[in-house]
Amino acid sequence: MFTFTKAKKAMAAALATGMLASFVTGCGGGGDKKADDKKAASGQAEKFKFGVTNFADSLEPTDNYFGWVVMRYGLGECLFKFDEKMVVQPWVADKWSVSEDKLTWTIHIRDNVTFSNGKKCDAEAVKKSIERVFAKSKRAGTFFAYTKMEAKGQDLMITTKEPMPNLNGALSDPLWLIVDVTSDKAAGGDRDFSKQGPICTGPYKVKSFVKEKAVMESNDTYWGGKPPYKVVEIPSIDDPNTRAMALQSGEIDAAVNIAAGDMTLFRGKDKFRVSELASLRTVITRLNQREGRILNDKRVREALVSSLDRETYNKVLLKGTFIAGKAPVPPSLDYGFDQLKDPNAYNVERAKKLLAEAGWKDTNGDGILDKDGKPLQLTIVTYNSRAELPLYSEAIQADAKKVGIDIKINTVDYNLVDRMGINGEFDLMISNNITAPTGDPEIYLNWYWRTNVDGNNPQNGTGYSNPAYDELMAKLAVEFDKGKRREMMIKAQQIILDDCASIFMGYPQTNMVSSSKIANADIKPADYYWLTPEIKPAK
Amino acid sequence: MKGKEILHRLVQMIFTLLGVTFLTFALTYIAPGDPVEMILEVGDTIIPKEVIEATRKELGLDQPFHVQYVRWLGGLLTGDMGMSYSARVPVAQKLMEALPGTIALAGSSLFIMMIIALPLGIISALHRNSIIDNVIRAVTFVGISMPSFWVGLVLLYIFGLQLGWFPIAGGEVEFRRMVLPAVTLAIPMAAKYTRQVRTALLEELNQDYVMGARARGIPMSRVLWHHILPNACLPLITLLGLTIGWLLGGSAVIEMVFGWPGLGKLAVHAIEMRDYPLVMGFVLWIAVFYMVINLIIDCSYHYLDPRIRKGTR
Repeated sequence: MFTFTKAKKAMAAALATGMLASFVTGCGGGGDKKADDKKAASGQAEKFKFGVTNFADSLEPTDNYFGWVVMRYGLGECLFKFDEKMVVQPWVADKWSVSEDKLTWTIHIRDNVTFSNGKKCDAEAVKKSIERVFAKSKRAGTFFAYTKMEAKGQDLMITTKEPMPNLNGALSDPLWLIVDVTSDKAAGGDRDFSKQGPICTGPYKVKSFVKEKAVMESNDTYWGGKPPYKVVEIPSIDDPNTRAMALQSGEIDAAVNIAAGDMTLFRGKDKFRVSELASLRTVITRLNQREGRILNDKRVREALVSSLDRETYNKVLLKGTFIAGKAPVPPSLDYGFDQLKDPNAYNVERAKKLLAEAGWKDTNGDGILDKDGKPLQLTIVTYNSRAELPLYSEAIQADAKKVGIDIKINTVDYNLVDRMGINGEFDLMISNNITAPTGDPEIYLNWYWRTNVDGNNPQNGTGYSNPAYDELMAKLAVEFDKGKRREMMIKAQQIILDDCASIFMGYPQTNMVSSSKIANADIKPADYYWLTPEIKPAK
Repeated sequence: MKGKEILHRLVQMIFTLLGVTFLTFALTYIAPGDPVEMILEVGDTIIPKEVIEATRKELGLDQPFHVQYVRWLGGLLTGDMGMSYSARVPVAQKLMEALPGTIALAGSSLFIMMIIALPLGIISALHRNSIIDNVIRAVTFVGISMPSFWVGLVLLYIFGLQLGWFPIAGGEVEFRRMVLPAVTLAIPMAAKYTRQVRTALLEELNQDYVMGARARGIPMSRVLWHHILPNACLPLITLLGLTIGWLLGGSAVIEMVFGWPGLGKLAVHAIEMRDYPLVMGFVLWIAVFYMVINLIIDCSYHYLDPRIRKGTR
């Protein structure tokens, strides 16, 4: 052995110093918790910490979909908003009417609304805000087109080119949140909307913003009363496990979209409050029924759908984080989910019978049916950027095999899905789709099931066509009466189900989990009402 | 390395960079997916073809490949790396925003790695085949084998959730938030380097000069610090150069788990969104950095190893 004492001592000292340094500097966190809980004399609580995932690099609401974030962070408000059933309700506007020719909407702006800089929000300010969106965003024209817009006091008159039954729904999209245009640097103001956030009418205003963390502060001039918190910190925590841990540790007071596997940590626990509901999304399996395709035969489609145990997929495979599918429009929307009848509910015997009627038999005993020497083989196209889709695909494959249908899974990049769907390069194609971005599923119902004549409705790549359905959609396009619209859309859904045009696999649930010290942290079906003035300390 | 050689390497670097940018541009161009559709379909709303085409024109994506590349290159030569499609801010700004986080994380994890790997590697080599050596080897084997995201989550669970010593949510470049991601990054590196240090030292320990020095009665500590370590550090420095390059490219997994604002997360987002200018900016940064680091390391041999220095004369 050699003498090596000095070296060893030096190494030990280095190690100890390093460990001690990281230990000492690392300790002492969480010291501001008490301060957070302290209510100030003003009646406002000090701080609320809200864990989210943020995709926006800037707060310019007309860029990409960044308006969603402006609204999610309690900064921006629209003229209208959606309630729990996605029915349009007044927000910055308090009432509206439509002219007899159905072309002019008169929208009255609340008298007491001011921007966070104290400036009054009148019809002229709203008009400028809407004009700004048209000038800056190419998406604006996809919502509506106007021929005239006039402001008179608190009344805003918008005349559209064509009757727009859902104009108020369109104006509820975060793209149309109301900003004080005069404060924009580009318009001679002093504010860089992208970095400092726009001046809006919401309960909070921006103190600081980077993609990873926003700090909001109370808008003391808020028209709906003093906001419950002086400061709201909104860190973006992308990893779902980390988000759940941050909530468990008390580092944040509430979080959105806790992962399915982590929900058991919070459900039924006194320390937490869970708010869950079906989102506006539906997982659809499109069925290619073009001429010459196997699924052109309605009996085969019906057999396939009947062979699938959707209830179990959602309860067991997806741990109850999805609601079993039935109809095109999810139950979160008031479009007759419960009254719709699914003629192709799970029934294996019926599936086998239907296939036999269609002439499919297992002649070679390999377990797969065949006809005219061709096996009953289908391909399902899927993508894996949404975790549930591969699971659904495998479940379809397994259940279909039980009735003699051989399904191959083709997993592709998400970017290819749209094109393959339009071109009909699939037998089955599974995707997760939003159904009512403007509170009304008309566009969605048109998109996938109205007849595609010479490419005039490219999203319907399945070849599905039913004149009765098309006629109904044409009537719907000019119908203003909400009740009648609802009935029409229920009828349309029943046609889709009766024709076995697609398979509706399930509806994802969305959630917001909060500490039990927080009240009213409720998730809404529309994905852009997160930080609301209703969220406050529990009594 | 002489000035002429350095100049030669710099010229080489320019051509390499041209090749790298061309290849990356070509690969992103032929990759499936349309950045315009990615940008416009985030909210799943229905976008008419005219809007898609207008946006494509606005971003210059309607131009042929060579026009797009030459335009990008022209911009680069004037210091303009283009605008990020998804963030709508200059690429240089996005990179500069992510850089401090990456540099801080890289520096701290390297520091932690060194204070673990050097002593353990030395102890392991000096006590070859002893119990302590076997224990260190076993521990380093485990350290290399564990996936980083898992280590990160375990550390978060223990030190963040259970003990409450460190914050869990990232979001800001500050010291307390950096400790756990730095340790997570350092663990596999330390395990790997402990083994490298051990191997390099063992090689040197078997050299005749060590035996000669010891026979002349020079204490082992002096032989170690003055002779063995300087000789053993040459292969380690090469490896370290590559590691620094890798670290400065950002570690996407660690950054995702800890919500750390760095280049890795930025790169993943850019690729997902088919944000070509941002992808190009990132690749360019990595390429430049790797080349500069390699150049510095090659130059350092000249000063660290007298054999090379003399050989070049």
